Amino acid sequence: MKVRFFATYRDITHASELEMPAPESVRGLLLLLAERYGPDFRNQVLSPDQTALGRNAIVLVDGRHIAHLSGIDTPLTDSDTVAIFPLIAGG
Amino acid sequence: MSAWMGTILRVDLVAKTIKKEPLNSKDAHDYVGARGLGTKYFCDEVDPMVDPLSPGNKLIFMTGPLTGTAAGCAGRYEVVAKAPLTGTIGAANSGGHFGPELKFAGYDGIIIENASKTPVYLYINDDTVELRDASGLWGKTVYETTDALQEELGNFKVSCIGPTGENLCLYAGVMNEKHRAAGRGGLGAVMGSKKLKAIAVRGTGSVTVARPKQFMDAVVDARAKLKAHPVTGTGLGALGTEVLVNIVNESGALPLRNWRDGSVFDQADKTSGETLAKTYLVKNKGCFGCPIACGRVTNVPDGPFKSFGEGPEYEAGWSYGADCGVTDLAAIVRANHLCNEYGMDPITLGSTIACAMELSDMGALPESDVGFKLRFGDAQAIVDLTEAVGKNEGFGKELAKGSYRLAEKYGHPELSMSVKKQEMPAYDGRAVQGMALEYATSNRGGCHVRGYLTSPEILGVPLKTDPLVTEGKAALLKLFQDLTAFVDASGTCLFTTFGIGLPEIAAEYREAVGSDESDEEILLKGERIWNLEKRFNIAAGVEKDTLPPRLLREKLPSGPAKGKVAELYTMLEEYYTLRGWDTEGVPTPDKLTQLGI
Repeated sequence: MKVRFFATYRDITHASELEMPAPESVRGLLLLLAERYGPDFRNQVLSPDQTALGRNAIVLVDGRHIAHLSGIDTPLTDSDTVAIFPLIAGG
Repeated sequence: MSAWMGTILRVDLVAKTIKKEPLNSKDAHDYVGARGLGTKYFCDEVDPMVDPLSPGNKLIFMTGPLTGTAAGCAGRYEVVAKAPLTGTIGAANSGGHFGPELKFAGYDGIIIENASKTPVYLYINDDTVELRDASGLWGKTVYETTDALQEELGNFKVSCIGPTGENLCLYAGVMNEKHRAAGRGGLGAVMGSKKLKAIAVRGTGSVTVARPKQFMDAVVDARAKLKAHPVTGTGLGALGTEVLVNIVNESGALPLRNWRDGSVFDQADKTSGETLAKTYLVKNKGCFGCPIACGRVTNVPDGPFKSFGEGPEYEAGWSYGADCGVTDLAAIVRANHLCNEYGMDPITLGSTIACAMELSDMGALPESDVGFKLRFGDAQAIVDLTEAVGKNEGFGKELAKGSYRLAEKYGHPELSMSVKKQEMPAYDGRAVQGMALEYATSNRGGCHVRGYLTSPEILGVPLKTDPLVTEGKAALLKLFQDLTAFVDASGTCLFTTFGIGLPEIAAEYREAVGSDESDEEILLKGERIWNLEKRFNIAAGVEKDTLPPRLLREKLPSGPAKGKVAELYTMLEEYYTLRGWDTEGVPTPDKLTQLGI
């Protein structure tokens, strides 16, 4: 699967995209990435108890916000693309 | 009247008279200020059928009660006239420091009447207000005009038009402090039709609020929340509005090549806020009293698109970028700077060039008319054609009329991606259903800032709704439209609403003007403004609420919204019902009576 990082997350990951085997769910992916990129990343993408998406994170799976899928338990496959953004706005 | 200076300037450009008249306090109460109050004055004084570029159209500059106060981001003023691009009520607001300075000089607003035979500018230095000769400024760019007036007068704040306003380009803007724009609808052309080149203002006063301690408590609360919010506290300042490119694209909503090729652009990141920050961003910049500072000072240091200025914002980055199929960020930055220099709306111009590219691509626009073979993706073309419009040369004269009139001339009006002849911004209504309804019902034609449902539909601010469904969007849009009308009217920047909401802004308003109205009563003022605008449009004979056929009939070919069209008519009837309008979208007498209109 592909994972894309945007905005301030690129400053933490020093990457805009990576490929990896798909974990079972978005939760599994975020835990894996948190282990790789450390507490700054973890504290933003995951809630303090690591059971929910962090307040400052937007996660899309194939362009759909996980709020409209199965939330942090949204299942993943190797053909998916996950996009991870901080909370942003503009216009 | 607390929060107000109490005086309106009425300037007759034929009689060359300047009258100072008291602010209409009842209308200021009922319509809040800025967009609302300016529209109320306009509707009371101008025939809706007036030719927008005739002397009978009036041009109103109006501040809000919070403008120039310590409230967060309270630097806005509104320009109101009948808009030449659309024939609708035209209301466009701008930040910077011009609005506050006008209040510091002692004036809440300016009503410009008739048309001068020779170029003039309005000089305002506290109590001294004069019409002065502007022959020497005519033909100058926005930057040149601003520099010339500041060199002559000193530290005045300048709102002016560029050459496109003089040449009656239908999307010329009114520009202040070089880079801030009351940009949409062509209000700069109205100013040009009156031969009013500029307004230069200096004020040494201040704004007094009704309940200073309670007001500052409300301000401290609002500012603390703006600072603490990830969007208004850090995100917008760091990456600007152009940060939206990637998330809108990933959501399948970034219109590509005149909305023809879907809304997923595999090269989008080349024009994103992230890329801008790494390449041409010099620093961020804020308006009066703004803790957000989303403005972008940008510099292309060398190469064919060498340029220094400000922007682009997200919509301009899209119109010149994905909409034209262009990925050269330097060219996009340059084209945007040119829009500021010449004083025109980059959303409409970029979209009009995109429309011309499609017309050319399908063989409907002869190469001889343009002067070269116009193709999607041509970075040099977006800069050259922007310059041509700015100088009113060659094919630029056709582009200066906007995409609808261009596409109509070449036999394909359906290829204008506009609503009420104003180009829609950078969110595909097929992938963001609420935005489809927003575009169709906007009182000033295709526009994103009359009820910005992208915020909940894509960004999840302040709540997350599904962009692909229609249920609930009519009610949400009505709320956003009414709230936006109030926020605009207050003199506060709409961007505050990413971090705070009605309770905080209404609290600032209440303590500033000395009101004990509830939040609901204050929101009702927004609804009153919306209905007044709509009533004007009905009387002006503006066409019905709809969308370009491409959005209604052509399914998106790819992305998360694959197969979707804009389901406008699923939402429109419910929207009219919620508004208390009839099935044709006309406010009923009962609704107007209820709102006191």
